[in-house]
Amino acid sequence: MAKIYTHDLEGNPVGLIDLSLEVEEGQIFGLVGPNGSGKTTTLKLFLGLIFPTSGSGEVFGYPLGSPVYKERIGFVPEGPYFYDHLNAVELLRFYGSLFGLTGPSFQDRIEHLLRLVGMWDRRDRKVADYSRGMLQRIALAQGLINDPDIVFMDEPTAGLDPIGAIQIREVIRQIRNEGKTVFLCSHLLKEMEPLCDTVAILNHGVVCRTGTMRELLADEDSCYLATFRGLSESSLQQLQSLAVSVEQQQEDTYIGNFRDQNSAVAAAQALATGGVELLELHPHQLSLEEVFIEAVGGIPQ
Amino acid sequence: MRAIWLIAKATFHEAWRRRFLNGILVFGILIIGSSWTFTYLQPGAELKMLIDTGLGAIRFFGMLIAIFLGVRLIPDELEKQTIHTLLAKPVTRAQFMLGKFFGGVATVFANVALMGITFFIVYTIKASQFQKIAAEAEEGATYTMIFMSANIAKAIGLAFFELTVLVGIAVLASILFSWILGAIFSFFIYFVGQMADFLRELSSPEHGADPVSSIIFGVLYRILPHFEIFDIREKILMDDLVPWSLLGNITAQAIIYIVVILMIGYLVFNEREV
Repeated sequence: MAKIYTHDLEGNPVGLIDLSLEVEEGQIFGLVGPNGSGKTTTLKLFLGLIFPTSGSGEVFGYPLGSPVYKERIGFVPEGPYFYDHLNAVELLRFYGSLFGLTGPSFQDRIEHLLRLVGMWDRRDRKVADYSRGMLQRIALAQGLINDPDIVFMDEPTAGLDPIGAIQIREVIRQIRNEGKTVFLCSHLLKEMEPLCDTVAILNHGVVCRTGTMRELLADEDSCYLATFRGLSESSLQQLQSLAVSVEQQQEDTYIGNFRDQNSAVAAAQALATGGVELLELHPHQLSLEEVFIEAVGGIPQ
Repeated sequence: MRAIWLIAKATFHEAWRRRFLNGILVFGILIIGSSWTFTYLQPGAELKMLIDTGLGAIRFFGMLIAIFLGVRLIPDELEKQTIHTLLAKPVTRAQFMLGKFFGGVATVFANVALMGITFFIVYTIKASQFQKIAAEAEEGATYTMIFMSANIAKAIGLAFFELTVLVGIAVLASILFSWILGAIFSFFIYFVGQMADFLRELSSPEHGADPVSSIIFGVLYRILPHFEIFDIREKILMDDLVPWSLLGNITAQAIIYIVVILMIGYLVFNEREV
């Protein structure tokens, strides 16, 4: 699927050039990318707010834009804005009524969601008086009002304080644990890394890497890092001869980079005779940030 | 129907938060409420002057409210992106557009009703006083309050249908252009629509216009709404009976026009990216 907005001076298309995604049920799927990479465009395509220039897509087997699948989805926008004459309860009642929800179970659902996002105590305040963080919380609640099978979220923790962000991430995990699917767009890689099961990296409108978090973060040249303390000049030379590389961490602490676990253990044993202390030994793992920077071709100078 | 009703209700509530529109309404009510003070300009015809000024004010201020409200209904949703959360729900674009339109119409109805009630209060207080003056000035010039009141109510009803057409035009214009251009376009249509008879005259070969101009005037006459048909003040001032058949005829024309406008609006809005 593609959504081309325009062409640059060199005639290259600008927009979402090649999007091909398959999202598995019951996962937190993260779509990450720099600003302008096409994340929000992707969401808008899924929601039928804009139309693809070429290709097609389906949600639950229905073509994009069909109101049928919208019965089963939720959407949490970035920087949300709602009718500000409503309070939290009225707002959820309004959005829930669009799904035909009524009765005591609907009232219970409203209360449950307001408690879930930490807005129950502030339920009587009008939206006009909400802070950015409160808007984000109520946006999440309205996105879950119909108990959706899949929730599309655009930067769900934007504007939240650290505690609020943790709470929202916990809610997202809870949604996944209930067997629902979460489609998450964000450029906050440090937040996405512990949260997502599968990630696609989008750059200049093209999906450049995709895979489970485990696959993406696995270092092909996997190595082991050992941290030592109390090295003399001779034991440092010994470490340098045994390790692939050595890096000084603090005044008397050095990190040795070994090819595998066995060579790291052997080195630790050899150095221990000279009174060197092994503080830590762990396999090196890439961060999502490192994977991302590599995928988008490095940091522009 | 549920989605249309909910969106219309939300639109109605939102509309009352627009200070600019509230300002127009308050000003309109003040003008209508004090309309009897202008009656000294026509000694002996104070009652007619009162009716003329009052109904004219309802149409004028109603027109301002209809246009400025209509052109903001959809652009505001696009700017604030409230439309995203709505269309992400099982709401079709047609339902969204109709909800906004009917919410706007309900707001205009409430505005016209408030101005109408104000006018009726003034009319009830002043009518008997002016009636005596008119009877003294002109032998046999008597007015039946009920007859007049019924005619005034019909005039206000037609003003509402006129403004409903105008809301439709303003909504369509705001979808086609920006809201500012939409407002200019709506004013243009409204004022040209008031001169439909003049357009017909200009399009006739007897008028001597060149063929191209004649065709243009002819097309404008046929496609533009004939807003002057909603203005029955002349009939009221001449003490003519305003028959229900005339009202039915004008209302039917208004409904047909609204349906056509909304269909065009839907065709454009359905293809529009939000």
